[in-house]
Amino acid sequence: MDALWVLYLQRLRRDRWQLTSWVLSIGVLAWFAVEAIATTFGNQAARAEILQLATATPAILVLRGLARGPELGAFTFFEIYTFLALLAGLMNTFLAVRHTRAEEESGRAELVFATAAGRWVPLAATVLHGAVANVLVAGATAIGFLGGGLDPAGSIVAGLATGAAGFAFLGVGLLAGRFFSTSRGANGISAALVMLAYLLRGFGDATGQISGDGLTVTAAWPSWLSPIGWGQQTFAYTGNRLWPLLLPLVVGAGCVAVVGIITARRDVGTSLLAGRAGPAEAAPTLRGPFSLALRLQRGAIIGWCIGGLAMGVLTGSLGNAIQSAITTNPQVTAALRAMVEAQGTSMTQLLIAALFEVSGILAAACGLQAVLRLRQEEVAGTAGLVLSEPVSRMRWLRSFLELGAVSVVLVMAFTAVGAWFSLLLAGDSSGAVADIWQTALNQLPAALIYLSLPAAVFVLWPRATIAVGWALLGLGVVFGVYGGMLGFDRTLRDLSPFTHSPVTTGTGTDWSGGFWMLGITAVLTVFALAAVRRREVGAA
Amino acid sequence: MDTAIRTVDLHKNFGQVKALDGLDLEVSTGEIHGFLGPNGAGKTTTLRILLGLARASSGSASVLGLHPWADAVELHRRVASVPGDVALWPNLSGGEAIDLLFRLRGGTTDSPVYRQRKQRLCDVFDFDPTKRGRAYSKGNRQKVALIAALVTDAELYLFDEPTSGLDPLMESVFTAEIHRIVQENGSSVLLSSHILSEVEHLASRVSIIRSGRIVDGGTLDSLRHLTRTEISFTRDGVDMDTLATAPQVHDLSLDGDRVKFGADSDRVHEVLPLLGALGVKGLLVAPPSLEELFLHHYGDSIAAPAETADGGPHSHRHRHLTTRTGA
Repeated sequence: MDALWVLYLQRLRRDRWQLTSWVLSIGVLAWFAVEAIATTFGNQAARAEILQLATATPAILVLRGLARGPELGAFTFFEIYTFLALLAGLMNTFLAVRHTRAEEESGRAELVFATAAGRWVPLAATVLHGAVANVLVAGATAIGFLGGGLDPAGSIVAGLATGAAGFAFLGVGLLAGRFFSTSRGANGISAALVMLAYLLRGFGDATGQISGDGLTVTAAWPSWLSPIGWGQQTFAYTGNRLWPLLLPLVVGAGCVAVVGIITARRDVGTSLLAGRAGPAEAAPTLRGPFSLALRLQRGAIIGWCIGGLAMGVLTGSLGNAIQSAITTNPQVTAALRAMVEAQGTSMTQLLIAALFEVSGILAAACGLQAVLRLRQEEVAGTAGLVLSEPVSRMRWLRSFLELGAVSVVLVMAFTAVGAWFSLLLAGDSSGAVADIWQTALNQLPAALIYLSLPAAVFVLWPRATIAVGWALLGLGVVFGVYGGMLGFDRTLRDLSPFTHSPVTTGTGTDWSGGFWMLGITAVLTVFALAAVRRREVGAA
Repeated sequence: MDTAIRTVDLHKNFGQVKALDGLDLEVSTGEIHGFLGPNGAGKTTTLRILLGLARASSGSASVLGLHPWADAVELHRRVASVPGDVALWPNLSGGEAIDLLFRLRGGTTDSPVYRQRKQRLCDVFDFDPTKRGRAYSKGNRQKVALIAALVTDAELYLFDEPTSGLDPLMESVFTAEIHRIVQENGSSVLLSSHILSEVEHLASRVSIIRSGRIVDGGTLDSLRHLTRTEISFTRDGVDMDTLATAPQVHDLSLDGDRVKFGADSDRVHEVLPLLGALGVKGLLVAPPSLEELFLHHYGDSIAAPAETADGGPHSHRHRHLTTRTGA
């Protein structure tokens, strides 16, 4: 019992900032969602209209949820719950892998296993830690909805639905940690399973039975395969059913039980799926720092590009659906215009602007990762191997930055291609199609800032690279992309690169902000490349 | 060029901590130089400066006639190194890492010479190059770096505790490989270690570092002069009085049925006639090992931190009595 308590506290201490930010983000997001919906769709009629549009547009249902009427609470739950559950799911799988497989991979787990704690107590401590985290998530979600002014019973049900879905993914993450030999593999597969759960319920919701008035949807069977779908089945605010939450809890507990059975039989540190052997010789293409950077980040870049492609395809399909819907409903146009906060002549252009902005965030994150990888290489010690060969620090940094720039462009290119195909397939031949390439190009300057700025931080303040990098991106997104919706001050919003991304309007594109950002990127890059020559390798 | 490495009054500070405190190190071309010191003495810091990965706070360093920080790239074409703690890319196989590091030097891995060398080194080190980096044990990671260094023809090899994690069999393989590169190419080797036997087998000269400065150095023989040779024989009724008064004899004592004493290593030959006259049996003469040398320099670190320096040739030995952890 003592060991359990010690290990639980150790997990809590290790995760104190990370867990706090996950829980707070989820709670704050719930609260902001209520506020934003109350502002944008203030009355029942507006919400009913948007719901009717949504239920007629499968693509919207995929991204939102299960429509259960236009009441403010039910509408908010429809709008935001699946996203909150998605975040809770990712929080749980990362948590589970961090305290199991990652610990075994680093060898720290053996230290603990060799003590009186043994093999079972660390697992129990991780389950306890995860369970408590989900209670916190449930509480934060409920408080967020309550704070926004929604009714208590429904808010508590919505909170429990978020926490219960999270618990199911805690089990999934633990199980993935037993199957895969690396934390990277376990994180990847369990995050993919969270996305699959999100998409399964999206598919079920989009193919569900729509009521006669177009205000409620009964989900089709795929939703019942997903922990997020089960959470939706609580019908928070309208039905307040708790029994569907038994399903995620049982799945989570079942996964934990299977993990227990595996733990009873396996050697410490082993996995069910063994790592594969590699080639004895390097492929001819692996020959310099650039190809090394590519090799190290290949998987991640492909992932970001698929994200961009999906965003592009979504733009095309959504754009078409909405274009046809709004011709009959001008009020909806106004509401949507308020929602996407962009300028443009047609609804398709609006959507392209809004969704490509999201792709721009993906591209920025992809660029940021190139710099973060530099720092990881340095901390791991592999940077020292490369830099002990005839490779200058400048060439090493330049190679990673070049790859980052290429991947930023690739993400936007995939977005544009996805949108272009889906619009053409749907028979859209409006000016919006031509705008696609311009709009994709518009996102590049802001994304490149997230390559050059972290590079400068990496050179000047290596220790802070990772934390500052993600913080810069997070703040940039909150200020620049959601700042308007959240009612932030103009000066605050102007701090974000995303605020200054060029916008294509009917009369052309104003690239003054874009050129400024390209100039800043150039200066920062030159500075980083020059300054890295004076920086020691492995510096703190 | 007859010096491969020369540092003069090298200092390296990490905040308040003086990792190097006036290090003077000299390694001649074509020699295997042992760089001895306990953990935290500054060995790794020195090697990182010599490789241009870290910059000296003050003082000068010259490696193969080049400035290690300013001419790092040029220097790295001529130097091969093995870090003390080898990290590998988790998703690259050992063979891929070795090939990549060779190609970074501008070499081509297609040549039969390279392939044959790599294969031979993998064989003698009993190394499987097809595993992924994350799957290797510490010893096997070490082998990746060793093979990557030994597969090249470098003028200078820098090894930071190269055999840590290797089993004794592999240590002897390493020893043989070092002798080979020196004989075949006339390369110079700087080998840091706290494993004394390894250096004793390999090095022709050693430098002993402590608290960031060289406290002793020279050939192994010259260092042995500073210590005593231990001599013992069976007591068997021998009259010990003549020994007790001899000036070359120190610490005469009885250990069971054996008589033991220490003699100044450079005066052992003066003691032998005395022993012959006494007709001793079961004579054992043990020359000082590096181990003793080492204790000679470090053994006092737990002694009282008094300023006992007398201005003799090793007076500085006693000035820095506190040992640090980490460098």
